Amino acid sequence: MSLPVKKKVITFFKKKIDENTLKQKKHFFLSFAYFIESFRAYRRIKSFVYNLIENDQYPYKKYFDFFMIIVILTSVTLLVIDVKHHIPVWIDELDLYVVTSILILEYLARMWVYSDVHKIVIDEYEESRFFDKRLSFFHLFWKIFQNKWGYISSFSAIIDLIAILPSYRSIRILRVLILFRAFKMLRYTKSLNGFIYVLKNKKFELMTLLTLVAFFIFIAGIMLYVFEGDNKNPNIHNLFDAFYWALITISTVGYGDIAPVTPEGRVETMVIVIIGIGLIAFGTSLIVASFNERMSVLREEKVIVNVSRKKSLIVICGYGLLGRLVAKGLQKEGLEFIVLDKDENLVSQAFNSGYNTICTDASQGEIFVKLGIEKRISHVLCLTSDDIQNAFIAINVKSLNEKVHVTVRCSDEEIAQKMEFAHIDQVIMPEEIAGMMSAVYAGEPVAFEVLLSIIEEKEKTQIDEITITRGSFLEHKTIGDVNFDSYRLILLGIFTSKDNGKTLGEFLFNPSDDYYLHVGDRLVCIGYSAAIANLKKRM
Amino acid sequence: MVDKKNIFLFGYGNFGRQLYKNLFLAGHNIKVLTATAESIVNAQEDKVDLIQINIKRNDDILSLNIDQENDMLYCAMSKTANNLFLVLTLRALFPYANIIAISNSLENTRKLKYAGANSVIDLYEATSRRVINILTKPAVTRAIDEIIYKQNNLKMAEVIIPPTSFLVGMYVKDIAFKSMGVVLVAIIDKESEHELVFTDQRLSQQLEAGETLVVVSKIDDLKIFKDLVHSETHPFVSH
Repeated sequence: MSLPVKKKVITFFKKKIDENTLKQKKHFFLSFAYFIESFRAYRRIKSFVYNLIENDQYPYKKYFDFFMIIVILTSVTLLVIDVKHHIPVWIDELDLYVVTSILILEYLARMWVYSDVHKIVIDEYEESRFFDKRLSFFHLFWKIFQNKWGYISSFSAIIDLIAILPSYRSIRILRVLILFRAFKMLRYTKSLNGFIYVLKNKKFELMTLLTLVAFFIFIAGIMLYVFEGDNKNPNIHNLFDAFYWALITISTVGYGDIAPVTPEGRVETMVIVIIGIGLIAFGTSLIVASFNERMSVLREEKVIVNVSRKKSLIVICGYGLLGRLVAKGLQKEGLEFIVLDKDENLVSQAFNSGYNTICTDASQGEIFVKLGIEKRISHVLCLTSDDIQNAFIAINVKSLNEKVHVTVRCSDEEIAQKMEFAHIDQVIMPEEIAGMMSAVYAGEPVAFEVLLSIIEEKEKTQIDEITITRGSFLEHKTIGDVNFDSYRLILLGIFTSKDNGKTLGEFLFNPSDDYYLHVGDRLVCIGYSAAIANLKKRM
Repeated sequence: MVDKKNIFLFGYGNFGRQLYKNLFLAGHNIKVLTATAESIVNAQEDKVDLIQINIKRNDDILSLNIDQENDMLYCAMSKTANNLFLVLTLRALFPYANIIAISNSLENTRKLKYAGANSVIDLYEATSRRVINILTKPAVTRAIDEIIYKQNNLKMAEVIIPPTSFLVGMYVKDIAFKSMGVVLVAIIDKESEHELVFTDQRLSQQLEAGETLVVVSKIDDLKIFKDLVHSETHPFVSH
């Protein structure tokens, strides 16, 4: 082998080895990324941290927020005390290390949950494989950096960073930056979002206002400087003084440290004070209007947080005559429910009655998803006065989760038939109910009045149901053994158990004395409310 | 099964239609009266005979030959104002008639009662009660359906105790209602007609003539029970 050829071979192998190590390294990163992707505990921890620091709907976030507020308040309090009193070194160091560590940890955690690095790695790798090109480390890190930069450069992250800085005690002026920690507190209340929302929402109007104010200050300042700047007014030394005066006057604050002395100056003042009042009124109304718009959103969020603590939830769609009565009844029964309606007036009525209420279109899926249709909602009652709207809502709900029990109010019999076709659990026709009641009344008026007064709970005697539970003293007993007379109850009948007591089976009216009671059987009894409560308690 | 009654049904809107349907199924004689064009269309669709009247004219109503002692008057006009006026008119013309009105709110129920309706069926109150009961007491709701609404052999009925009945003077606890297939729900005193006394509070009281027993039972058993109540001698021995 000649020398040049040997050299070539060696360089070839060297190159090969380099590529191999690179591949191996890449391989390590990739497999790590895939490992994390499949590591469920990691994902669980990450989503927990995310919920804790970022998710307003998460019930435990408020404890985290409260903790951070306490930490910051401590830090700010120390700053204030430090102005006139000496703080022991150990407290100062505690503040320095503990608070700073907490803040740094929080900053890093926020950066961590901002995005998934391993996903970027995997995506990039898969893309490179697809296009069959080399994946360079530089490119990969650049992508990751770009992604995280999105967090680092965000407004709130910058404030977070500035809030960490005062820890460098050597630079005294930085201590004032502790106040940024106070500013940071806004993050832990929902106000910051609200405020930023207002600024964004009314950006155009606020910019117009600001330009106008700047323009008036500019003109007024120069005018006053021209009128009084030439030593006529001892307080105006330069243009800055004149602009300062213009702002203080136009904002109607009017300190009076600089006041016009010439008649021209005074006339000018009169004009800009009037302009100032106008501008302030304009600005205030802008912000108030925007906050008002925001209020409904905030209220909605609050309601969703409220109901997210409930285990089971009934949704009433429509707060008309019927919706109102049902809401009242459910409240009396102590059941958890939420009212949805499109009409703002009705919503505010429901809200004033103290119910959880959201102004929304219930025929859209979004609201039900927000309310937790998969786990929380047990029943949806469609009670608007419009049959078609009710059908729309019912089908919306059923398409999201078939298991939710849906009741639809309906006036038209043909629509009622279609509802049954759509597997709606219950169709209620107010006119039909009134019709049936009237017909019964025509036949047996007295008997009917009795029943009605029992059903409507106008008397102390009530009709109620008692389910036989496993291990209760009634299990495997016969009706004769129980002796309902001794409980002062009238046994009307029994629903036999079906599907392990989940649904009602056959109705046995006035069962004979030798009927054996089974688990899941439901007794329908009439009696004094205390007597029913007594038997229920014994169960 | 039910005593056939003559019923005058005023209004054939949404309520009226359902009322007619149910009353018809229960086997009553119904006369439908209405004033609005919409109702006339409804009636033609359902092939129901209908008499057009003007509720503002007493002559129209008087010409219907209402027997105020026995007939029942159902007021189910779609418009609340019309319904209220109708109740007022009927009460003025027939002081002893049995007037039943349909209402759509507690507010209107109060007004209709004041205007003279004997009984007011509140559409939404009844519906909301039902919606809530389905949620909270499903078995009770179904039991009530079985007993009073469904066309089956269960029935709720009222039985007046005649003075000659053997029941007079007996104690409730000594009567074996259960073995007769009858559940006694309430007893209504003849003097205080509207005061209901439920069986659970009356076990140790004597029955008096003229009291009404409210019972639930199968139709066949009910017939036997009614005959029994009218018999003068002790047909059975209690245990």
